[in-house]
Amino acid sequence: MVANSLLEKAASYSDVAISFVDDDGYPFSLSVTVEVDQENQTVRIAKPASLPSLLNREISLTFNHITPLPVGGYTDRRYIVLWGRLTDQGDSYQLKPAKGYIWDEKEVPFFQYSEMKVTKARQYLNELKEKPWLSTPWLIMRTFRLPFVIATILPVAIGAAVAFRAGHFDLTLFALTLAGALLLHLGVNTANDYFDSRLGADDINTTPTPYSGGSRVIQYGLLPGTAVLSLSTSAYLAGSLIGLYLALTRGLPVLLIGLVGLVVSWGYTAPPLKLAYRGLGELAVGLGFGPLLVLGSFFVQAQTVSIEAGLVSIPLGLLVMLILYVNEVPDRTWDDEAGKKTFVSRMSEDSIVKGYELAMASVYGVILLGSITRIFPLTVLLALLTVPMAVKEARLIGRNLGNTYGLVVAMSSNIKIFVYTALFMLIGYLISFFVAV
Amino acid sequence: MPTVKQLDAAVLEMLEKSLVCEFTVVSPTGRPITHPLLPLYDSEEGRLFVTSSVLFSKKLDHIKKNPKVSALFSKREGAQVSQCRAVLVKGNARVDEADVHHGWERLLPLWRKKEPYIDNFVKMRYALPLFWERSIIEIEPSKVYVWPEGDANAAPKVLEVS
Repeated sequence: MVANSLLEKAASYSDVAISFVDDDGYPFSLSVTVEVDQENQTVRIAKPASLPSLLNREISLTFNHITPLPVGGYTDRRYIVLWGRLTDQGDSYQLKPAKGYIWDEKEVPFFQYSEMKVTKARQYLNELKEKPWLSTPWLIMRTFRLPFVIATILPVAIGAAVAFRAGHFDLTLFALTLAGALLLHLGVNTANDYFDSRLGADDINTTPTPYSGGSRVIQYGLLPGTAVLSLSTSAYLAGSLIGLYLALTRGLPVLLIGLVGLVVSWGYTAPPLKLAYRGLGELAVGLGFGPLLVLGSFFVQAQTVSIEAGLVSIPLGLLVMLILYVNEVPDRTWDDEAGKKTFVSRMSEDSIVKGYELAMASVYGVILLGSITRIFPLTVLLALLTVPMAVKEARLIGRNLGNTYGLVVAMSSNIKIFVYTALFMLIGYLISFFVAV
Repeated sequence: MPTVKQLDAAVLEMLEKSLVCEFTVVSPTGRPITHPLLPLYDSEEGRLFVTSSVLFSKKLDHIKKNPKVSALFSKREGAQVSQCRAVLVKGNARVDEADVHHGWERLLPLWRKKEPYIDNFVKMRYALPLFWERSIIEIEPSKVYVWPEGDANAAPKVLEVS
């Protein structure tokens, strides 16, 4: 027996086809007129005069719906299939469905529907002795999640800009710092993929988005987990060698910052620390992309630390932490199931938005404080231009908390808030080099 | 025996312009399994195709065990045709998996006519790579049933084709 909800939905379709296996062994289909009786859980089918008797055969009814688009093509796909045997009702047949199936893209978006079939697809490709194909540039882009490296570039640049303002800047050192930090970032992205796969969080997630749920290269069979781990360790190794060189030439504090960075980034997902699984992932990311990157970049140039570099790192750390925070929202059910205790997986929907607002208020509060007290140049106040975006973002998150694919827009605009705010801070510093403020 | 290309122009219009057909395969237990699919009719070659991503490969398994299939073209809303007819094509299906990565791309000109935005999705292959691992299913028609007015109560015109 099929669920009543299925029949209730079937009643709203106008295009229905009956299918059965004909005497010649070929399937036969024809459009029919039906009436759904929800109370008795049956479907009455007007007997098409052109068909032979369909009694004693298994039949299926396919209820199909599409909405053609004016530009061509269609949208709003949904269909229901019911199976069973017919009974004779004189001028009609009656079907009491024994089995049913539904797909409605409004209820299960196409991306999620596809994700649910990934295991079967990989088995099928294995039988064909094939692996999925993706062009090398896209495979690299996807594996390393390259667009996210902006979260490293801007803090390192701002750290160097603060140093420049203090009278210290060397382009080669800046390039080396950036290269080392980028390699560590690529290392953490791939380590995160490898360990989230091993620990199950990415495997059970059927609602990944371009911003959450990992790169999926392991889940899709684009790369084996061992290859991802090798890429990760290679990136870490190369980044560490650069860090070691900078520590030897610029001072041991670089080694300390680098070691904390290594522990925090590798331990973000990897056992035994598994910081992301213990509710410490957000803090680790905030620390790594804020104070560690900014102070590290500043120290390499200036061979000291400063209040300004420390203070300017706080909004940057918070902003990158908020990227993770918002990206975790659609994953929270899957994370919870996999025992990954992220901030948002432990928060009520109300407090998720409040948490975002509080953190954004802190970002702008620090920028305001640093500028008013003239620790930062006044031109850094340019970063406040993103306040309206942040206000809109909080509303957007609130409106889409239960809607994974609606949140994609919120995740994208949240990343833009980080990029624009950090970029305005950097521009503020650059202007201050030429204009006394 | 006529070839598909020699069928009535109105029938070919249904094959060429329908956005959806009910494509039915037979499971090993003898159950009809129907999928609404985008039909691709090559009017120059007189060949009828559908494609299937490996994500939705069950129908491919069924065809490999039993190639007998049918495709019903009957949707008024989906078919931008001058007159609504119902056309059922029975035939044997052949699964072409010589190149699941790119083989289906040769059908893009036909696909584009039905879904003009398809190229944008193909460009975004990186977003859903497994969806673009696709098998081509060619239907080799053996019998075509035509209900000229789309009326299922009227006896269909049955044509054997080669």
